[in-house]
Amino acid sequence: MIRQSDDIIIGTVARMLVPFIQLFALYVIMHGHYSPGGGFQGGVILGASLVLLLITHGLPETKKLLSEKGVAILSSLGLLIYSGIGLLCLILLGNYLDYSQLSKILQVAPNEARSLGILGIETGVGLTVMAVMFSIFIDISTGGVLPEDEEE
Amino acid sequence: MNQFFLGAGIGISFLVLLVLYRVVFGPGVYNRIAAISAIGTKSLIILLIMGFIFHRVDMFVDISMVYALLNFIGCVAVAKYLEMES
Repeated sequence: MIRQSDDIIIGTVARMLVPFIQLFALYVIMHGHYSPGGGFQGGVILGASLVLLLITHGLPETKKLLSEKGVAILSSLGLLIYSGIGLLCLILLGNYLDYSQLSKILQVAPNEARSLGILGIETGVGLTVMAVMFSIFIDISTGGVLPEDEEE
Repeated sequence: MNQFFLGAGIGISFLVLLVLYRVVFGPGVYNRIAAISAIGTKSLIILLIMGFIFHRVDMFVDISMVYALLNFIGCVAVAKYLEMES
């Protein structure tokens, strides 16, 4: 299991860097259609910030931020957002993921609805990728045996 | 101006080859980590120079920021692995 690092430089740098990494990840997700990036890349950067926190501050400290239950909820929530928007377009008599149909409920022009729909999709993808990256890293670093499993 | 950036890029690429010698033959694992980190920094600069050559610096700055970030996290992760190993 990964324990908290004794080194003060690593701990301080990581603690100060994590909020900026997450801010940059949000920027990558939001500007996915203007600049390189998008949902997957932003999600990977968000996951990398959590991995950095896990490496430097240890598993018990990171679990206060995002527990195993939270990881499961977030990864399912992202998938729900993705498929929910897709199904909503189907219900509004369009094709699957045909965002321009969303203009009927959002009360905006079809091209604006398309932009908003892509943003929603990317948010869902980013949430899922972040949660799954973090979950894979936890599973690999602990060998699949979590500390609270041993206590029960 | 393009010629200048092209020359600078080729020069830094040559420097990467020099550092690559440390990665392959370097005595011990710590020399290799330092050399890989240096290569990551140099490729970041090469990315930015490519951005200047293609006149799309605003795009390449984003990519190079992510590259620097992942380089740092990878370095910390390898160091942590070695610490747990010993």
